Amino acid sequence: MAAASKLLLMFLFLTAGIGSVFLAVVLSTRHPVEDQTEIHHRGYAIRWKWFLFVTLFLLSAFVSTLPFFPYLPSVTAQGPALRVPVIAQQFTFIMPSHVPLQQRIVFEVTSRDVNHNFGIYNSKGELIAQTQAMPGYVNDLEVTFRKSGRYTVRCLEYCGVGHALMEKEFTVGGY
Amino acid sequence: MVSTSDPVGRSVMKLYLASGLVVAILMMLVGLAMRMSQAQWLSMPPEIFYELLTLHGAGMIIALLICAMGGLWFLMRRRITLSAPLAVAAWALIILGVVGVVISAVFGNYAGLYTFLYPLPFMGNWHGWATGVFLIGMMLINTGWMIWCFQMLGAVFRAYGGLRGAMGWNFVWRPKKFAAAGHKPPPPEAFPALVAGVDGLLTGMAGMLLGIALLVRWIDPRVLIDPLWAKNFTYFYMHAIANLIIYMLAAFIYVGLSYATKREYHTSKVFVIGWWSSLVFILTNYFHHLYMDVSAQPQILQYFGELSSYLTAIPVTAVTVFGALMLVWRSRTRWTLGAVFMYSGLIGWVVGGVGAEIDASVPFNVHLHNTLWVPAHFHTYLLGGCLLFILGWVFLLLESRSEHSTSKLVRWLIFTLSFGGMMVFLSGFYFGGATGVPRRYATQPPPGPLIAQFATIGAIIMLVGFTLAFFEGLRLRSNFSADRMLWPQDLKDKVS
Repeated sequence: MAAASKLLLMFLFLTAGIGSVFLAVVLSTRHPVEDQTEIHHRGYAIRWKWFLFVTLFLLSAFVSTLPFFPYLPSVTAQGPALRVPVIAQQFTFIMPSHVPLQQRIVFEVTSRDVNHNFGIYNSKGELIAQTQAMPGYVNDLEVTFRKSGRYTVRCLEYCGVGHALMEKEFTVGGY
Repeated sequence: MVSTSDPVGRSVMKLYLASGLVVAILMMLVGLAMRMSQAQWLSMPPEIFYELLTLHGAGMIIALLICAMGGLWFLMRRRITLSAPLAVAAWALIILGVVGVVISAVFGNYAGLYTFLYPLPFMGNWHGWATGVFLIGMMLINTGWMIWCFQMLGAVFRAYGGLRGAMGWNFVWRPKKFAAAGHKPPPPEAFPALVAGVDGLLTGMAGMLLGIALLVRWIDPRVLIDPLWAKNFTYFYMHAIANLIIYMLAAFIYVGLSYATKREYHTSKVFVIGWWSSLVFILTNYFHHLYMDVSAQPQILQYFGELSSYLTAIPVTAVTVFGALMLVWRSRTRWTLGAVFMYSGLIGWVVGGVGAEIDASVPFNVHLHNTLWVPAHFHTYLLGGCLLFILGWVFLLLESRSEHSTSKLVRWLIFTLSFGGMMVFLSGFYFGGATGVPRRYATQPPPGPLIAQFATIGAIIMLVGFTLAFFEGLRLRSNFSADRMLWPQDLKDKVS
């Protein structure tokens, strides 16, 4: 299952949980009315635990995502890589039509005119990597292709009326 | 202090709410046309699609902002002195700016979108004058917004003892001395007003600086601007505005949901600290828009952006939403349309927030950035949150004065159509995002068109529900009781 599909499942699961809580609170209004002071007394105790849970959960999530950040010190520390320049311009990409398999590649992405995006889709249509293409700057995107085949680059930053047509195909390995 | 029967205050609020809702209705129809085009059920050239997208994005944000400004202004005017002519002047500037944006898109074919990333406004296939008119229009809107913020902030400071008093500083840190002196903390709705004033002015100034820089570039093409600087300023400004709308509308929850549940929302120490943190996080969490500038953006800001985006959720869930749930729990709530809309808006806020937090996680952002997941989460909280808070507020006002009430069947119909349709409509964005369909594509790659077809059907069902709600609102309004105030007497007494 693609990473994004797992994220969708996680989202749907959380949404169902949130919906259940809100529904339970609505249904509580069918029961006899409770004094607000009493609810405050119990509610504040629950809120304190909820605050601690949410805070610890979010801090843990932050720490656990750090190793997966795609920023360069971790990329360059891993040794040599094939550096592939990519120039985006309205409404095409100037880049090689073939890259090797099982080799660390660093795409050096920039733009000749406006802001673009360099989003790589595999043959199943899954978005596997991306970075912005900004005029005057170079963004280094590290990718190691594990499967040979046909890949498509799409622009994911609105760049003008030809935005949806801005794509380029390239092959990987012995495809 | 102005009483709740204040006719001038009511007129100003109605002016803001009516104009905001009219723009919102028009922009929803524009949105429907775009979704139909993506579904391949409507033939639309890409240049028209992007002109409509520019209108839809700017229009919806401004429409909801105007509604939030009018509602919060009215709520605060019950307690502090606010000038009606100044509020009308701010509104007029905003409307003038909206006219400019419409002229640039409709007659000048401007299609640089609401988040006009430099240098795109100067490199599109639209008329050169359209870029200038669009920028001037946006700056007029920003000027109106900043006047409103300035007025609100000044009035809040005067009424509650400067920044320190308005923030509830002594209430939190010196509670015994504060109580012994007979002081009371500001009411809950004063905190959204404070935060909107401070953050609105800070980000509004950044927006103005950006606008001036772009206007100079428009006048003299030899002037160059750093694209990364412009991008940071654009999102600092735009993200804060979009965020502030829902934070301002929290005031509706504090007052409106209290009325619906026949309970009171108190200012507590936790509540005040929660708003302090929101004051900061609204300014700092925009960095998540630049995660994919992997080398250009300073890395420390990427880490800070994720942490800040995560921490934003704490005051919302542990304070405002939790407090709202405590209001409803085992209460005497009568589930009128006003109460249903108001309560459902909370769900939109939280669910949209979850979608936002997932996207604000750097490793996940690699797969979701600028896919349909982005409009998924902001439509959830702008449509399923903000718009529902506004509708809830409008219906609570109508219900408080009308001699009629809405039948159970009509309530059920409106609820089922509005929410059922909305869920289908929003699901289209989430599924599209998870399958990698890019956002802002006039023609989408598969499975975009198929998903858009389901989403279009959902949007139509939702709009049928909203149309029913509109006519029900008219029916309630046509039966106002002459001796009933806009707002119930008991609340008026407490305010006075």
